[in-house]
Amino acid sequence: MRPVPVPRQTVPSQPPDPVSADDSASRKILLVFAGALALILGLVAALQLGTPARIELSSGTLLKTPRPLPELRLLGDDGAAYERQRWEGHWTLVFPGFTSCPDICPTTLALLKAVDARLGERAARLQVLLFSVDPERDTPERLRDYTRYFGPRFAGITAPQPDDLKQAAQALGVAYAKVPGATPDSYTMDHSAALILVNPRGEIAGYLTPPFQVDALVADLERLLDSP
Amino acid sequence: MKRLIPLLLLGVAGSACGAETGRLSAHDAWIREAPPGATAMAGYVVLRNGTGSALRCDAASSPDFGAIELHRTVIEDGQSRMLRDQVIELPAGGEARLQPGGLHLMLFRPQRPLPTGSLAELTIRCGSQTVTTRFRIQPQP
Repeated sequence: MRPVPVPRQTVPSQPPDPVSADDSASRKILLVFAGALALILGLVAALQLGTPARIELSSGTLLKTPRPLPELRLLGDDGAAYERQRWEGHWTLVFPGFTSCPDICPTTLALLKAVDARLGERAARLQVLLFSVDPERDTPERLRDYTRYFGPRFAGITAPQPDDLKQAAQALGVAYAKVPGATPDSYTMDHSAALILVNPRGEIAGYLTPPFQVDALVADLERLLDSP
Repeated sequence: MKRLIPLLLLGVAGSACGAETGRLSAHDAWIREAPPGATAMAGYVVLRNGTGSALRCDAASSPDFGAIELHRTVIEDGQSRMLRDQVIELPAGGEARLQPGGLHLMLFRPQRPLPTGSLAELTIRCGSQTVTTRFRIQPQP
């Protein structure tokens, strides 16, 4: 790069006015100030150029470095393995829950249905997955019927083997526990309330945390779905 | 372990918003339409205690359901939990709002198909008072 020629300092044609000594001091201060400002602006510009644009979420947090999902032994609601490539090529919003949960699960899924409708064409790049932590009751058929009720891009996954369920939950950052009910079949499940965001490369990109608001989720997802 | 937590109670004694004085009343009652395959439903209602004394609601029944329990969803430490409170405390002149993501009636084993638009009749008992009201089945309020 060629150095930019610096114009020579012009010498004032008139002799300095004795009464402007004050003026010259303030000019020096001004110069120091301008120099400091240029330095700050330069640093800010360097930082801006050095890091890719980061998306800040209003309903959750994105991981600094997305975490690739390991190979998981998950079952899709079509009865086939939910393998690595099924996570790829689109964003996924994973909601941990179970179908025998009449309050918070359908409430959250109904809210995600409203979000999906507001996303318009972008919604084609988003899959909503109910990750059932209750495979004892949630068969693939039951998950399919339940999730499709909320929309065509809603589906279910689970892991019928306890070890597989544990491994998948750990990988997704989901905690769950069975809580006995009044009768053997009326047990309930405690489960993580956060939604997990998986990017189109099959990596955990971040988490969305309650309380969920349609407007905030739509704004966040619009930016994510438009990002490369 | 039974947790008896007194519930959110706005004191609306003698308010103009329809509280019937002298008795227990139920308002804005609805049941979330069950997605296919769901074996339990959730009912929501606003209960108002128009009597001069505190009431404890601890039972509900309906010919349309096998069993009804009083539950409460809470989110604690990032976990969604359903607590079987089984009791709702209603102070004199106060109200309790059963709404999504909080207090609700857990409705087990629907005895007939309950599509959107249909009605189910529930009776809620609060101490010496009972209230019977029709709940509308709908996807959202």
